[in-house]
Amino acid sequence: METLTVPGHLDSLSIIGAYIMDAARNAGLDTRPAYRLRLAVDEIATNVITHGYEEAGKEGSVYLTASSDSAALTIILEDTADPYDPTTRAQPDSLDLPLEERPIGGLGIFLTIRNVDTFAYERRGDRNRYTFVMNLPAS
Amino acid sequence: MEITITSLSDVQHVLLTGDVDGKSAPEVLEAVLPLITPQAKLLLDLGGVAYMSSAGLRMLLSTFRQVGMQNAKLVLTGVAEEIRDTMSITGFLHHFTICDSVEAAQAALA
Repeated sequence: METLTVPGHLDSLSIIGAYIMDAARNAGLDTRPAYRLRLAVDEIATNVITHGYEEAGKEGSVYLTASSDSAALTIILEDTADPYDPTTRAQPDSLDLPLEERPIGGLGIFLTIRNVDTFAYERRGDRNRYTFVMNLPAS
Repeated sequence: MEITITSLSDVQHVLLTGDVDGKSAPEVLEAVLPLITPQAKLLLDLGGVAYMSSAGLRMLLSTFRQVGMQNAKLVLTGVAEEIRDTMSITGFLHHFTICDSVEAAQAALA
């Protein structure tokens, strides 16, 4: 699919969601894994926009590219915020705590890693690149 | 995001229509928190919500805490399967009372 470029604002989340669902449909992904992929990408996009751009006082775009073959659907998300590697973050160890004692954040990255078959991060030039892969059922 | 608040006798019925994401979750919280007065009965109806991210979980967490502090009651209804999945793997699900219909939720709040 053609690359989607959207401004790094929270208003863009719904456009990103629609793009992912289109890509999932085109690739023949079932609705449940399609939802999980959307969730994974949305969590990273939200982090990029909120922490990478807005809180850092930066303007920038979010770039999304979908590609698929018979084995997998791959989404690549890029941004020009400061380097941020979510794979080095510890997973939350608070999932069993009563809700009264839970930290209020930290669930987004957990949901990303948990919901896709492969998640990867790399820094390329001035861009962060996040790769999400969903395996497709053998036809 | 559309937020429709209706009083069903002593129950505040909050119907959400749209995605609960990083953009809309703070709007939902802003609408819900003032309803949580002492002993309030809140029915949060996700019947029009097909998608919820962790921003929605944070909204639920803040709502849950306010309900506890005010000695109020909270019941959810209209929770889509995918949203239940998200609530389950994050350990949220068993903390909430979830009913299959508005009527059942009203009964649970009575």
